[in-house]
Amino acid sequence: MTNEIKISIAILIAGVVILVGYWFYDDFALDNKSTSKKLSIAEQIILPQYSASTYRNIAEVQSYLADLREIVREGKGVLPLESRELDSGGRLAQEILLHDKKFLEGTVANGKPIHHDMMRIRPAIVASLGERSIDICKKNSCYQAEMYNFVDNATVRAIVDIENKKVLEVHHYSGMQPDISLRLKHIAESIALNAPEIAKELKETPKRSDMSMANVRGALQGSICENSEHLCVAPTFSDHRAERALWAIIDLTELKLAAAKWAGLGKTTTPACISERSLQNRYIMKNFCEKDTALEQNGWKFLYRLTGSDGLEVIDASFKGKSVFKSAKIVDWHVAYEGEGVMDESGNVQMAGRQVEFVQGEKDKFFFGYNDAMGCPMFSTSVVLPFNAPLVKELNDENHKKVGFYLTQDYRNPKWPMACNYRYENRFEFFDDGSFRVVAVSKGRGCGEEAIYRPVMRIDMALGEQEEFYKYRGSWNRWLTESSDAQREATLYDQGKYLYKISDKYSSRGYYIEPNRGQFHDKSRGDNATIFVTKYKESEGSQDLLTLGSCCNLDEDGVERYISKNESIDGENLVIWYVPRIQNDARAGHEYCWADTIIGEDGNLKVRVFPCTVGAKFVPIP
Amino acid sequence: MKKYLPIIASILIVITVAMVIISKKSEIKERDSITESQINIGSFKREKSCVQQPKFLAKLHVTPPVTIDLSQQQFKGLAFLYGKNFRQVIHPKEWEIFEHFSTYAFDKEGNTYLAPMPFISIKPTTFNLQKNIYKLDSLTGKLSIFMELNDVLPTASNPYGIISLVYDCDDETLWVSAIDKSNYRAERGAIYHIDITDKKVLQKIEGFDALTIRLLKTKQGKFLLAGSARESALYAFSIKNRVLSENKIKLLALPNANEHIRKIKVKSSNRLELQTIFFSYTLIAETSGKSERQHYIAKLNTSIGQWELSVE
Repeated sequence: MTNEIKISIAILIAGVVILVGYWFYDDFALDNKSTSKKLSIAEQIILPQYSASTYRNIAEVQSYLADLREIVREGKGVLPLESRELDSGGRLAQEILLHDKKFLEGTVANGKPIHHDMMRIRPAIVASLGERSIDICKKNSCYQAEMYNFVDNATVRAIVDIENKKVLEVHHYSGMQPDISLRLKHIAESIALNAPEIAKELKETPKRSDMSMANVRGALQGSICENSEHLCVAPTFSDHRAERALWAIIDLTELKLAAAKWAGLGKTTTPACISERSLQNRYIMKNFCEKDTALEQNGWKFLYRLTGSDGLEVIDASFKGKSVFKSAKIVDWHVAYEGEGVMDESGNVQMAGRQVEFVQGEKDKFFFGYNDAMGCPMFSTSVVLPFNAPLVKELNDENHKKVGFYLTQDYRNPKWPMACNYRYENRFEFFDDGSFRVVAVSKGRGCGEEAIYRPVMRIDMALGEQEEFYKYRGSWNRWLTESSDAQREATLYDQGKYLYKISDKYSSRGYYIEPNRGQFHDKSRGDNATIFVTKYKESEGSQDLLTLGSCCNLDEDGVERYISKNESIDGENLVIWYVPRIQNDARAGHEYCWADTIIGEDGNLKVRVFPCTVGAKFVPIP
Repeated sequence: MKKYLPIIASILIVITVAMVIISKKSEIKERDSITESQINIGSFKREKSCVQQPKFLAKLHVTPPVTIDLSQQQFKGLAFLYGKNFRQVIHPKEWEIFEHFSTYAFDKEGNTYLAPMPFISIKPTTFNLQKNIYKLDSLTGKLSIFMELNDVLPTASNPYGIISLVYDCDDETLWVSAIDKSNYRAERGAIYHIDITDKKVLQKIEGFDALTIRLLKTKQGKFLLAGSARESALYAFSIKNRVLSENKIKLLALPNANEHIRKIKVKSSNRLELQTIFFSYTLIAETSGKSERQHYIAKLNTSIGQWELSVE
């Protein structure tokens, strides 16, 4: 090979290397750049761990609430702006408005003052004037005022001619929120500064000077707390070195921290992208829908996760090293209402956007309703959504003595407690003595009276490879085939408490099942349940179950399909299905599975909840 | 001199390849920069469509105006409303067999194409219905499955399949969007271009979840507008020679992070009406309530290519 050929090959090879390098250089550089950028603005969401009562001791909040109570006591619904926020013209405009019938329309409803805050009063700008006012305000001094209705999430805007002491215009904007007053701005800042979650994130007690917040919302606009249409603002703590900021969403209707988020300082992370609901959804998806969370406490060890349609699921639970159950969850809520007369057979009836199912009952009665699936807030068949993340709380007995802990998840329709909206709690109680209880709580409100709720609980026990199930009938009788039993008809209980038991075939290890008959000091009216015992099959609920059976056929709970073959359960891996039956009650003084709203002493809406709590307790056999 | 020929040839080869590569790369860069920035799609106006309403309506002596109700509030499936205050209804029971629909498009013969939708309560059959495009025959009013897209496979962790469609008067085709492949981590939706005559997929682009689509002709060309199911934003895809560009142009973002564009209408010259809903790939009832829908007017400032958004 001649030198010229060798040089030619070298040129070709070098050319190829250079050109390949050139082709991929930008991608490589971009990858590095975007990776580092992604890392620097990685989203981190913080959901509140404390209730509104945490903030009631803040001086600004206390003074604000005291002023509110005072005006409500006087029969008024409007908290005026403090003098220091107003110039002399503004003070006069406020005085005129607070005596103007049209402006005050709706501030008192049925004799009850409704909480309104005067937010801003300033010289009127031409853009906000109507045609008639433009002429008047050219000659006279005019002011514009904005007042916010906390109950209806609405804004009233008025134009006042202070020289003639006349209100020229009053406009109502439903679902809109104005810029907030300086007083509320200070309150929002104080809540952010006192929020334990914020201090924990910042790793120090924050100072007012570290924070920025625009009290000017730019224009009338919707709330960033969409869950309940509350008035919210977002003070920010910037960390310029790390190029990130902590946004604290403060709910000024409830006077608490709604959520917080670490985000980049860039254009893409403006408050418009931050809302209570989207933060909650993303936090829950990332931490509880896409992965299991481990918990080890008081001898108990298990994993938990939120499912697509079967609520909160606890898996692989053990106590002091011994396995107890593989899975426990509430797969469905059947909700049925009783009707009388001619049943609608058109198949087209809707209630709050749901297709209603009808089932003929006895005589001229019929039942109608639907199945509610609880699941992840995104990418699921869920109808009732999780609010906040699962929480672990201390479990106390009736004497307030600590007896264990519980894991709980709140599920709600966003519009609860409005009619035809629902709120459920999935709760798993773990006692220090090795007992546990799967608890379903309905907090109403539903579509009305005469509602029957049936949560379908599935508990896959893990006492051993071969398990045995017994029912107490004066003595313990073993079940040999898949079957069901109506707990509500039982009269005999072992030791006055236990109706069923499940145990390992080869060791005496097992659990008594103690149905709830109102003895758990939670104001429950009992389970009135049906219990089903089936042989474990992967296809029968180990994965997410879509709605199981009819909402409204009260002769069936949906689980019947799994026992139709009456298969032998002798020495099999067993699954217990427990389906309580709850009748709601809306009678005054007797409310049960119910919620309503009243106007409280501060002129704000107060939700009164009357939960109904069901679920059997599993007690270790000594 | 002859002995240097291999060296000269190798240098020429390297230079030629280098020129091709440089030119190709700058072309890609140019395309990317157009995608990333907000470009001016050009002025547009409201145009008369080639489509017509179903012919069977005339047989039934139904006089315009007629509207299709897919709200699922009163009627399962679809219903035609007409007469004073749209109080008169055509809704045969047979129109309920494929459960619920989300959007529709007429063609120029008056046939109606319908996209399915899962709605609140899921039945074992629901998922399988989400892969079909349905057709309501213009002459007979018979509802049937027009075409199955067998790669559309909804599951419990994303119950949605085909979600939107639009008829293209230029070539008598359908543009169809599906979002079944997407999950929380990845956006894997698809837009299909379908030949109605052959029932063939002409083109499929992947990687975008379009909750709604609409065709728009502007001075700059033809575009498929798409409301994103994942973002609170409106996008445009350019269509050249019947081929949809895979590069999307972000036109505007909505002020609320939870709102997603569900309907796009050309209101007047350079003005779009955008109807939004809350959407999170679940079946919560609030998406069906009228009060939950927000209407925006998006006005294009043609001189600078910027959109101004206002609440209608």
